[in-house]
Amino acid sequence: MKDKIGIYLGIGIAIVVIVTLSLYAMNIGTIEVDEIVSLGIALILVFSAFYILWDRIKNVQRGLPAKDERVTMTGYKAGYYGFIAAIWSSVGGPLLSDIFFGHELEGNYVTAIVVLVSGLVFIASYLYLTQKGDTV
Amino acid sequence: MKTRIKELRARYNLTQEDLAKKVGARRETILFIEKGRYNPSLKLAHDIAKALQTTIDDLFIFEDD
Repeated sequence: MKDKIGIYLGIGIAIVVIVTLSLYAMNIGTIEVDEIVSLGIALILVFSAFYILWDRIKNVQRGLPAKDERVTMTGYKAGYYGFIAAIWSSVGGPLLSDIFFGHELEGNYVTAIVVLVSGLVFIASYLYLTQKGDTV
Repeated sequence: MKTRIKELRARYNLTQEDLAKKVGARRETILFIEKGRYNPSLKLAHDIAKALQTTIDDLFIFEDD
């Protein structure tokens, strides 16, 4: 039951995110390169979340648990990498922008970079570690 | 670390999925343990040993590096 609630909650959140992104994309007017990149990363995160949910649904339907100790450990490890990426991107984002483009990033852009980079690192690590198996 | 899980599964005519259901783990977890790519917790190792009617000592072969 707990697994099913988690899956339904995940699907609900993913749908809300897709609707929000669609509304944002429809009302944005002219789309610039940085917005395309941001939307692209957000869509990668949402579709990866759908893949993880689909994998869990598949297991529940076959009478297996949605997640076990290995998947939980993988989540913790990917979360750790995501956290490290968040710290580095909060420092590296503004620094690289200053070095390469010569302008200081505003706070909302830094927040967006931190969320997108840490999310991307979390999803990439999670999917890689899930396939690799080794969490030691 | 090597394991005898595959051998014992064959003896009791169990698939990876059957064993996974018995111990409450995912099939991929059993696969990775068999291949030596994941070290299970003591509890999971105990549950697998119990499901295969053996002991942890008999199931897992530790190699000194």
